[in-house]
Amino acid sequence: MNSNLNKSIVLISPLDVVLTGLFEILKGSVAGEIIQLRRGDEIIDYPELTGNFLVIAVPEELEKSTTLIRHILPVTGSVQFMALNLDLNSALSTPSISINDSAALICYKVNEILNSFSTNPGKETDTELTRREIEVLQLLTKGYSNKEIADQLFVSTHTVISHRKNISEKTGIKSASGLTMYAILKNIIDVTDINPDELI
Amino acid sequence: MELFNENSKLASVIHKDHSLLPVINRLGVKLGFGDKTIRNICEEREIDLNFFVEIINVFHYEAYFPEKRLLDFSVSMVIEYLVKTHRYYIDYLIPENDRLIELFLSANPEQSTENDLVRKFYTKFKEEFVIHIDFEESVMFPYVLELNQVIENPLSRPNFRQKYPDFSISGFEKEHSAMDDKMDDLKNIIIKYLPPNYDQNRGNAFLSNLFMFEKDLKNHSRIEDHILLPKVKQLEMILQSHE
Ligand SMILES: [Fe+2]
Ligand SMILES: [Fe+2]
Repeated sequence: MNSNLNKSIVLISPLDVVLTGLFEILKGSVAGEIIQLRRGDEIIDYPELTGNFLVIAVPEELEKSTTLIRHILPVTGSVQFMALNLDLNSALSTPSISINDSAALICYKVNEILNSFSTNPGKETDTELTRREIEVLQLLTKGYSNKEIADQLFVSTHTVISHRKNISEKTGIKSASGLTMYAILKNIIDVTDINPDELI
Repeated sequence: MELFNENSKLASVIHKDHSLLPVINRLGVKLGFGDKTIRNICEEREIDLNFFVEIINVFHYEAYFPEKRLLDFSVSMVIEYLVKTHRYYIDYLIPENDRLIELFLSANPEQSTENDLVRKFYTKFKEEFVIHIDFEESVMFPYVLELNQVIENPLSRPNFRQKYPDFSISGFEKEHSAMDDKMDDLKNIIIKYLPPNYDQNRGNAFLSNLFMFEKDLKNHSRIEDHILLPKVKQLEMILQSHE
């Protein structure tokens, strides 16, 4: 359950019928969260999107979201992209699903990509933390103060403190340096991203 | 739950709770006490009987902490006990921890990232711990002992006032919680988050020592926070009223 929590799917299409249809097809066969967006740039409203996720979008929106994800989101895991082909007459070269694929084929293709996340050696995060908590933890391990973390995540300092409390309760680790060690052991951050002499 | 008293045989006390062994050592009792009662032993070695009984009970039973009675003991007696406890940490528990953690980690050299992290964390914890103890022994305890003397001997007051213009222990108070947290964290990292391919027996040996250390330290901090500090505040009030 833990590793699946970090594998979510973002569906992007301006068409409600497509979003709903794909959601219905996928919801039973994937363990992670499925987020539905009408436009690629709405992904900016999901700063808590970290860990591994798969974006499935119509080609135009795929492009928009790709740029955004690459440049703006503090992405930590890996991101995969899949084109959603609504045009029966054209074929796409990137991993894609087509509007006339069967439900079983769509599930198969999607799961194939989702499973490839975990075969990425050593990169899988295995943690009981929520996405938001992971994000707070990442900033914490970079040496940011509660106030700075709050500013970056657009939440109140109070919220950050309550996240920190939950992180400590779930992990059993209270000190900042202990949490840094935890984050490294759990692949939430990379040891090369921090200065262990300073932060541990 | 049973409290020990002056008529308890020390040997049976130890059979019931062997974690008291280092405690009786630092109170001045060595092994080989036969069937003597606590009273016999304390009389023989000129150890304060009440202090001995209260300290072992406080250590033995976490919920037992008779503050009023504990506050009756002299500052110098409490500090002497605390300093002996520090010596036990510095001379024995810490080196023993060093040895056990190295045995544990070095048996698994392929886990070098994990080993480095744990070593770093442990070293930092140890440094902080030693600084804490040094501070207490070189700054805080001397202040408390001098404060105690100045109350008994009013003539030395001007000297004392010159040395400590705003005589207040609050400037010396140091948090214990940060140290406790780090110790807890170290235990949890090893128990919950290290990969399972470490030598389990060596891990257990290190953890057992750490649990013992933790118990002892909690008790020690409790005496500092709830006996020594209130006593010092009392003395400061007395001094203030003399001004
Ligand atoms: Fe101390
Ligand atoms: Fe202390």
